[in-house]
Amino acid sequence: MSLIHFQILSAALFSIGIYGVLARRNAVLVLLALELMLNAVNINLIAFAAYGEGAQATGQVIAIFVITVAAAEVGLAMAIILRLFRDRASVDVDEVDLMKW
Amino acid sequence: MSLSLAVFYLLGVVCLGGAVGVVMSRNVVHAALLLLVSLMAVAGLYLLLLAEFLALVQVLIYGGAITIVVLFVIMLTRVQEFRAMRANPQWPLAIVTALGVFVLLAWAIINGAPNETARHSVAFRELGDSLFTKWAVPFEVASLVLLVALIGAIVIARERDAE
Amino acid sequence: MLQAEPVANLGVQWAWLAPAICASAFFAIVILSRFLPKQVALLSPLAILAGFGVFWYVLNEFLSSGGGTFSVDWFTVGRNTFTLGIIVDELSVVMLGLVTFVALMVQVYSLGYMKDQEGSFSWYFAVHSLFAAAMLTLVLADNFLLMYIAWELVGACSYLLIGFWYHRRSAAEAAKKAFITTRIGDVGLLIGILLLFNETGTFDISTIIHVAENGGIGSGTLTAAVLLIFLGAMGKSAQFPLHVWLPDAMEGPTPVSALIHAATMVVAGVFLVARVFPLFVMSDTAMLVVAVIGLLTALITAAMALVMTDLKRVLAYSTISHLGFMMLALGSFGFTAAIFHLVAHAFAKALLFLGAGSIAHGTGDKRDIREMGGLWKRMPVTSISFGIGLLALGGIPPLSGFFSKDEILVAVLDGRGPLFFILTLVAAFMSALYMARLLFLVVLGNLKTENDHAHESPLVMTVPLMALAVLALGAGLLAPGLIPGYDGFGNWLFFEEPEAYHINFLVMTISVVLSIAGFGLGWALYSGKALSSERIRERFAGLHRVLVNKYYIDSLYQWGIDRVVMAFARFMALFDRIVVNDAGVNATGRSVLLSGWKLRYLETGKVYNYALGMAVGVVAVALIWWLALPYA
Repeated sequence: MSLIHFQILSAALFSIGIYGVLARRNAVLVLLALELMLNAVNINLIAFAAYGEGAQATGQVIAIFVITVAAAEVGLAMAIILRLFRDRASVDVDEVDLMKW
Repeated sequence: MSLSLAVFYLLGVVCLGGAVGVVMSRNVVHAALLLLVSLMAVAGLYLLLLAEFLALVQVLIYGGAITIVVLFVIMLTRVQEFRAMRANPQWPLAIVTALGVFVLLAWAIINGAPNETARHSVAFRELGDSLFTKWAVPFEVASLVLLVALIGAIVIARERDAE
Repeated sequence: MLQAEPVANLGVQWAWLAPAICASAFFAIVILSRFLPKQVALLSPLAILAGFGVFWYVLNEFLSSGGGTFSVDWFTVGRNTFTLGIIVDELSVVMLGLVTFVALMVQVYSLGYMKDQEGSFSWYFAVHSLFAAAMLTLVLADNFLLMYIAWELVGACSYLLIGFWYHRRSAAEAAKKAFITTRIGDVGLLIGILLLFNETGTFDISTIIHVAENGGIGSGTLTAAVLLIFLGAMGKSAQFPLHVWLPDAMEGPTPVSALIHAATMVVAGVFLVARVFPLFVMSDTAMLVVAVIGLLTALITAAMALVMTDLKRVLAYSTISHLGFMMLALGSFGFTAAIFHLVAHAFAKALLFLGAGSIAHGTGDKRDIREMGGLWKRMPVTSISFGIGLLALGGIPPLSGFFSKDEILVAVLDGRGPLFFILTLVAAFMSALYMARLLFLVVLGNLKTENDHAHESPLVMTVPLMALAVLALGAGLLAPGLIPGYDGFGNWLFFEEPEAYHINFLVMTISVVLSIAGFGLGWALYSGKALSSERIRERFAGLHRVLVNKYYIDSLYQWGIDRVVMAFARFMALFDRIVVNDAGVNATGRSVLLSGWKLRYLETGKVYNYALGMAVGVVAVALIWWLALPYA
């Protein structure tokens, strides 16, 4: 079990997250996929922290920050989705196209 | 196959399987719960990486806070019809792109990453020290970010006539 | 003749004030016309009066202290410094006096004539001032650059004044024709000037002459340059075949015709040839060309003057014919004769045109000579002055025209031989004949009943007539030296050698006989007594038609313009429309529109599309980075 294992896992999780962000229709589900991507990044960071030469606190510290920001972002995103739902009774991202040509 | 490797594969399967469920599930609640499963698997992976604190934080934040929030919002934005809410029109391109990204990353990883096998644990004390000395400013900024998100969320989501 | 002494403190250096005052008058009138539209026009005659005063001062100084050239530096380009300068010698003094005096007479006359005409009173006088300034600059200029600028400016003023009544289609067309025809000549002039500049490195006339006389310019180049300069002279002085604009220029107000198209602007060509006469003399080819063209012009247009029925047209063709005489004289080495005739003709022709204007004024705008006759009974002053002018140009002694024509005949006989002489006699006879025609058809004879109400013109118009009549009568006396201390015109203004007044009794007799014969024939034909002009017209009907149609030259030119110039213009218009406009400008605009029209589909408004774009972009950049860049 080496660094590469974790990295491949992280890459796979990231890709799955990308698919979810690009292909889902419900705004909430897009957000869930986004969380997957963030977590993939965290895995990568912590893997580097663990497998690097000498003790690396940096990777874990950054991971903490990522989690923090992800949490903040989820809160804010949920607020927006609620607002969107209240205004148009739907969270379908396909219907948000006012900026269309 | 060592024990840790087996655990790794197990946790990996759970994690990725949950993730696939998140992006493919037709039921919103199922997706949220599968996310929880996937993220707990990630916490397990952190433990495997000797990052105990992070694993704890992961469980607390994601399992405790974020999942709750998501479930609340799902409840509040419940769509009565379960019609094809699975994918939007560009899903073929999305698959291609996702695969492309994965191939790219994998290729980069295999060609670039050093093949280390020794895991180090980071001392808890060291983590705390570095967080409050070297990374003090980002720490403060992060707390500011949380504050802003808090205020922003209230402002965006409050009722219109509650002036 | 040309003295190149840049001595500073001579009184004649103030000659430049004459054009300067007139130019200031132009600007003043233009600026102030908004406030005092009628009164401000008076600035113009006042300015030219001041110019006339400057002439007397300069003449005085010239006769006492001599002339010279004076210049100031104007601007420098590279190694060449261009100057503004004047040259004061006999030629320029004579022209200075002529231009200021005739312009003064014409402007005073115009105060009366233009008062009731349509059009801007103040603008008319403003352009008169501008013209005077330009013409005076032209005659005083000591370098080609300044002279060319004045040359063009004079042409522009002519255009403005011919087309003064621009609402009339015919006037606008005539102005255009004048400008374009003289433009053809001007191109030649410019190329000639540039050729000389190329050879000598300067525009200064005295320097160029000096260099040429010392063999500094190759003879082929010199002939070419001189012929090109003559082309410019042909344009301005209406020599054949560039004469077509002058008759049409009669569309302008009559005082304009008197000033510009009889006395001053059209003589600019003759003046130009005289100014650079030393250069012309060095090329036998050029001299021959000048003489031949002059003779041809004189003959061809004199014939046309015999058949025209519009009074001003007859005078116009007569002007062209006499300009031909002047060129002929120059081409026969008769420098003094040419200049003397220039002066005498200027007085007489200006007089005739002003008289024609007075006749029109008095008879209610009549122009056709067949409707006139016996006007001496109703308009005595005008008729007498007009008659003096006619006799003078017809060559009746002792009026001025006799002396000048006599000198020309002598010069032609001495310089070009018997063939030219005989042809010149023919032209002189014809000039007497058409002058007689006017005399008997317009002034003398029976008064037609419809002209019974004709009245004399006001003083402001008749005084200039009388002044010019006096000069037409007496200027001939300046030719031989009859005043103590003055040895005659030829001893004062000459080229290379002073020429005392030639008394060649044979020539003199022949010319007097011809003039009297011409008037006699005119009396016979046109006063209806002996011969009938109608029967002659019927017998020579074909010839008559050719003459009336101006030898179809105008039609020829029009055909050339229509076929060649317009075809080329149509092609260019097509090119401009298709290539420049449609393909160039419009296509550029439309391509932008089109690309926008197509590219707008990128803006779907859906965020997930944009997210896809970002993801694809990242992948693409990464691919390029890792795959292509190492090989770049």
